[in-house]
Amino acid sequence: MIATLRYEFGMQVRRPILWIVYGLASAALVGLMWQGYVVPTLGLGDPDDPRSAMIAVSQTVMTLMPIVYGCLLADRLIRDRTLGVAGILDSTPAGRTGRLIGKYLGVCAATAAPIAVMYLGRAVVYAVAEGKPQALGWAVVLFLVKIVPALAFVGALSLAGPLLVPPLVFRVLFVGYWFWGNLIPATMMPTLSHTVLSANADYVEYGLFGDPSTAPGADYPPYGPWDGAALNLLRPLASPAVAFLWIGLMVAMAAVALFLARLHAIRTES
Amino acid sequence: MRIEISHLTKTYKGRVRALDGVDLDVPTGMYGLLGSNGAGKTTLMRILVGLLKPTSGTIRVGGHDLTTPDGLLAVRRALGYLPQDLGVYPDLTARRFLDYIALLKGLDARDFRRRRIGELLEVVGLSDVADRRLKGFSGGMLRRVGIAQTLLADPGLLVVDEPTTGLDPEERIRFRTLLSQLAGDRTVLLSTHIVEDVAQTCRYLAVMAKGRVVFRGDVGELVAQADRRVWTVTTPGPEPSQGRVVSALPEGAGMRYRVVAATRPDPYAEPAAPTLEDGYLALMETGR
Amino acid sequence: MKRFDLWSHEIGRAGPAALVMPPALVLLTGLLALFGTRLGSLEGNTAWMLLGAVEAGFPLMTGIAAASLIGRDPAVELQLTLPSGYRVTLLRRLAVTSGWAALCATAATALFMATGWWDVVPGTPGGLAGQLTWLAPTVWLTALGLLAAAAFRSTVAATTTVAMVWLLEQVVGDVLRGNAVTRSLYLFATSHGAGADDWSVNRVTLLVTAMALLAAAWPLLGDAERVLGGETE
Repeated sequence: MIATLRYEFGMQVRRPILWIVYGLASAALVGLMWQGYVVPTLGLGDPDDPRSAMIAVSQTVMTLMPIVYGCLLADRLIRDRTLGVAGILDSTPAGRTGRLIGKYLGVCAATAAPIAVMYLGRAVVYAVAEGKPQALGWAVVLFLVKIVPALAFVGALSLAGPLLVPPLVFRVLFVGYWFWGNLIPATMMPTLSHTVLSANADYVEYGLFGDPSTAPGADYPPYGPWDGAALNLLRPLASPAVAFLWIGLMVAMAAVALFLARLHAIRTES
Repeated sequence: MRIEISHLTKTYKGRVRALDGVDLDVPTGMYGLLGSNGAGKTTLMRILVGLLKPTSGTIRVGGHDLTTPDGLLAVRRALGYLPQDLGVYPDLTARRFLDYIALLKGLDARDFRRRRIGELLEVVGLSDVADRRLKGFSGGMLRRVGIAQTLLADPGLLVVDEPTTGLDPEERIRFRTLLSQLAGDRTVLLSTHIVEDVAQTCRYLAVMAKGRVVFRGDVGELVAQADRRVWTVTTPGPEPSQGRVVSALPEGAGMRYRVVAATRPDPYAEPAAPTLEDGYLALMETGR
Repeated sequence: MKRFDLWSHEIGRAGPAALVMPPALVLLTGLLALFGTRLGSLEGNTAWMLLGAVEAGFPLMTGIAAASLIGRDPAVELQLTLPSGYRVTLLRRLAVTSGWAALCATAATALFMATGWWDVVPGTPGGLAGQLTWLAPTVWLTALGLLAAAAFRSTVAATTTVAMVWLLEQVVGDVLRGNAVTRSLYLFATSHGAGADDWSVNRVTLLVTAMALLAAAWPLLGDAERVLGGETE
């Protein structure tokens, strides 16, 4: 598994196209999402506060980058079959499940590397420019508890999805899913957006790092149910327990997606 | 169709020089292009069919200058190409696949197309499975579909790149025979790294190594490269240290080695009659 | 007859996925129109969703399909040596997927116009001009997909580009509408409210720039060495 992980990481991280596409995405992030990335606030927190600033940057990065991350991963599992190397890999001593997990961790880590560079890079710039090194600490913690679980789920979904539906259909559905299930306001239509099942939900920052609505003078509603929205059952009020529940659900959904991928492989092997 | 290649070079990005001043004149009939993997054969083939642009040099095929758009189009109209890795549409049957390619080759009349496809399926021995999907075809069957598609428009030039790689002996013999029969008044350029394929089908050939043509001539001339340089020796000890071992066969308590070497590799070595394979190896040894 | 035979082959090459998605979207929007209100969606919301689905859904499908066009062809090496010219074949395939999506989009738009849903969202152009709602962004994203496929020589990179642009247009619409240049290139000007004058300029600009994208893709697609050197799916 470790060998597969290292190999897949190396292969993916060396693909020039990965960096070219992320380069375009970064340009769009800086150019069009100036408010949020360059000016680190989305209107709720104080950009001079390193914690608020890093939360805003993480939310901005996680609006756009998962779509790039997911699309870049969508060909990785089906590729083995198209290139005809699946049979050769199956003959190696590495177990198929171990290889799947190794591949998952390797390609996901490699594809997430530019996101880490973009996010942690902004934290470094902020820490130096503002003279607030604690921003680095907040950035690392947020990366681990907010960004990594979300990418873990999106990565598993993107690897498994094209095995279950044609790649062309998967790509369209994935874009639609990310917009509908993660970005639109909860009141627009019945949606998974802002629920504990949404990879882009804000439970970690509100549940673990303080709710901006409780700040003095703030008049924002607490994070949780939306007035008049459907599926509010899946939008409990943010708390540390719910934040951990969200992390657990992301990991569990990733495991389910990988299990489906493994199941699919068993079915096609037989 | 005569192929005239002059001072042809091809340098890929990253300054990899795949072809280095190739000069070659290919007459009508079957012509072999022999060389190890990475010698530049596929690059030359791909330039000939217009897939790659040469970095410098000239190519004329049947009098058409391949570096001009008009010349390229004229050559493509007269071309049948079988790539090394023929990709097909696995959801199509052999007949439907050939029909699609025939349409793209300009065979517009439906009746003529159907008749032609039927004939070619017969020629390549696939009539019985013509209506089966290609995804169920073996490697050999796919190669035969591949050769059938090259013949659709009755081309004057056939370019076949490593056509027998991966085929079983029976399929390989069948395929070689088919290619020889097709030559007739066509030019068939057969690229391969398998010496036996050339030995059994071509009278004239060229040998490529490291992007250059290191030999051109007839089969006899290549065999002659190994004249007085082929030896057999039976020994219970290690293989001869001189020359290049062509084969090793267990014999009694020892091994019988066939060696290509400029001088007698062992006091007990006896001279042997050279084959094309020996000639090829002798040539490669000389070029080292 | 030759044309019919060739086009029937190209329809097969498009694959079931590309052919099923557009009618599936029509069906989904049709169901939303029929049952949305009964499921508790406000009439205004339902109408806006129908408009948004037509304006954004069809372009996403055709854009991704165009971006996948080259990478999905297993016989690309053979195709590139045929006298018919591979880019003409690609355009034919593009015409099949986009043409079919266009047919479905026209039907959906006509249906929503006829049933009055189109008039619920104020300022939505009707009649023939109303068809520009989906036509302009569809042509633009399709052209972008084809250019990205030709430029990157990678299905993954090309589809990611289309997906990224589509998503950005959705999430930073305010920013794009705030500038005269980006406003004229904004893909979803109908569902995200543009003035009548702005809307016409926007639609025409999208169509014209789409032609420029196609023109940029044309020489790249004609370069066999470039097309052959790309990543397959």
